[in-house]
Amino acid sequence: MKTIRPLILTLLALALAACGKSGPANSPTAETPASAEPKKLSLFCWSEYVPQTIIDDFTKETGIKVSVENYSSNEEMLSKLLAGGGKYDLIQPSEYTIEALIKDGQLLPLNSAALTNLNNIAPEFRAMSFDLGNKYSVPYMAGFVGICVNTAKIKTPVQSFADVFVPANKGRIVVLDDAREIVSWALGSLKLEINDVTTENLARITPLLKKWLPLVKVYDSDSPKTSLKNGDVDIGVIWSGEAALLYAQDKKFAFILPEDGAHLFVDNLAIPKTASHPQNAHLFINYLLRADVSKRISDAFPYYNPNLAARQLLSPEQLANPASYPPAQQISHMQTFRDLGQFSATVDELVTQIKAKGK
Amino acid sequence: MAETARQPPTVLGLDPRRASWKAWLLLGPLLVWLALFVLLPTILLIVTSFSNRDELGRVVYSFNWDNYRRCFDPTWLSIFWDSILYALLATAICVLVGYPAAYTIGRASPANRRILLTLVMVPFWTSFLIRTYAWISVLSQEGLVNSLLLSSHILPTPLSMMYTPFAIVLGLVYNYLPFMILPIYTSVEKLDNSLVEAAYDLGAGPLRAFSRVIIPLTRPGITAGALLVFVPAIAMYAITTLMGGGSNPTIGEVIQNQFTRARNQPFGAALGVLLMLLFLVCFFVLGRKKHSAHPV
Repeated sequence: MKTIRPLILTLLALALAACGKSGPANSPTAETPASAEPKKLSLFCWSEYVPQTIIDDFTKETGIKVSVENYSSNEEMLSKLLAGGGKYDLIQPSEYTIEALIKDGQLLPLNSAALTNLNNIAPEFRAMSFDLGNKYSVPYMAGFVGICVNTAKIKTPVQSFADVFVPANKGRIVVLDDAREIVSWALGSLKLEINDVTTENLARITPLLKKWLPLVKVYDSDSPKTSLKNGDVDIGVIWSGEAALLYAQDKKFAFILPEDGAHLFVDNLAIPKTASHPQNAHLFINYLLRADVSKRISDAFPYYNPNLAARQLLSPEQLANPASYPPAQQISHMQTFRDLGQFSATVDELVTQIKAKGK
Repeated sequence: MAETARQPPTVLGLDPRRASWKAWLLLGPLLVWLALFVLLPTILLIVTSFSNRDELGRVVYSFNWDNYRRCFDPTWLSIFWDSILYALLATAICVLVGYPAAYTIGRASPANRRILLTLVMVPFWTSFLIRTYAWISVLSQEGLVNSLLLSSHILPTPLSMMYTPFAIVLGLVYNYLPFMILPIYTSVEKLDNSLVEAAYDLGAGPLRAFSRVIIPLTRPGITAGALLVFVPAIAMYAITTLMGGGSNPTIGEVIQNQFTRARNQPFGAALGVLLMLLFLVCFFVLGRKKHSAHPV
């Protein structure tokens, strides 16, 4: 027995030492002098959003090796970023997450001298309220959440969220698996502000959600087009880029921006303050802002491109896709999400509860 | 497996022949592995489950029972219950389908046995996610099964199979079946044929010989298989999300959501701890049965 205890203690100490080492060792590297930056870049981006060919071409041009990691929600990115300790050089948060990250002092101010292609971005996207004048972030792609209808199956006109969630569509609906989104549709449908998420307003929309959610068949944020394409559902509230891909394949998939509250989302490029290779990150941002590069991103993922120079290179057919480029007057009064902070858990709980009871 | 792995230290420690330093050296890597990847994460999970979080979802260490109190809300309990039901159903089907298969493999000639065993393992050569996506194209409304049924005029309208509890259980059975077949196969392989012959000689019919001799002798395999299927099936979230479409949430999905979308790691950790307790109960219940089966 006498020999066992010291042995176990040593092992535990060793294990702890091993753990301790990997933690703080990362932070000093963040201050590497500019000239000595190794030719590496760690990109943390949305799944299905940055084409691999563009990353490969960037490596060919600059010699900088890019390692890519993907996420499928802003919150997933947040939790990994805040636990990661300098692992990521470039992230791709949406507007409300930029707002939260700036508030918490997590982003590195951008060096505008290094971003010579920033002028390609449309003026309205350079004056977004979450980061006025692009101090910390640069828009990558924007889009909308709207209604996609298989017009071969659904003949009645659809104009609002209320038209989607009717008993006749029970078991034929796909929606984004995103509590914040679902809540914002209900708020819009009751003519409430989409960012006015309060206990009273949540109580107000609860009866509506209890009517809506039991009608839903599929919740999918990653690839909501799949169930529409396979015919498992006939109508959905999905990302505009996904709807644009469906429309490009088959014109029977119509995209409608609901009159009771479609909203705009803007995904941005930003550099965390813990980044080890901030210079390389600037190089990559500037590369993605180039008109020809940004045009190729639009080819692969037909969202609403904030890059005006790239938009000029698109074919008339691409520009005519109603899901990618809806009429300007519809976009001008659209709102974007604000950060909810701790309330995001309340919103998630409400939706999960109604989902579980609605079966 | 973890059970047998953890026993040696105490056995060696109390051994009158004394554990030599060599024994400890041999055990070393395993002990370090257990400390690093089992003990530490578990401690972290328990500590997190009593904590709070800030606006961005970072864990703020403190001590309160709120997360556990929330776990017992009827919503989460009913999701827990559904997940247990799906897992139980999947385990039962795996036993019913896996037992005959394992028995046939175990009784086959050595050459055939090797081929059949390889066939059981073949699906593991591709990622389970790819295999699950394949099911989507088989089961969807415009998928293989429905096109066949429609074009041969067996059905007037397509069957709705994807995104239902049926699809969830099917996905679980498909992915975990090999974990049932392999342990049962090892039991069947060890089965002494003379005992079965003795049962026949003593007047038992095939049914009686099967239920009174073969089943009890292969019970360790069934128990191991049931644990290997049931435990991961409760917590599985990838298959249930893809095949269930999220409209039948399972506890694995809820926990994953707490760590990602809901910015609520402490609550997710509390649900995780409860799930772990559930597994411990399973081990004890099934482990006890195994012991009582031994004297047979």
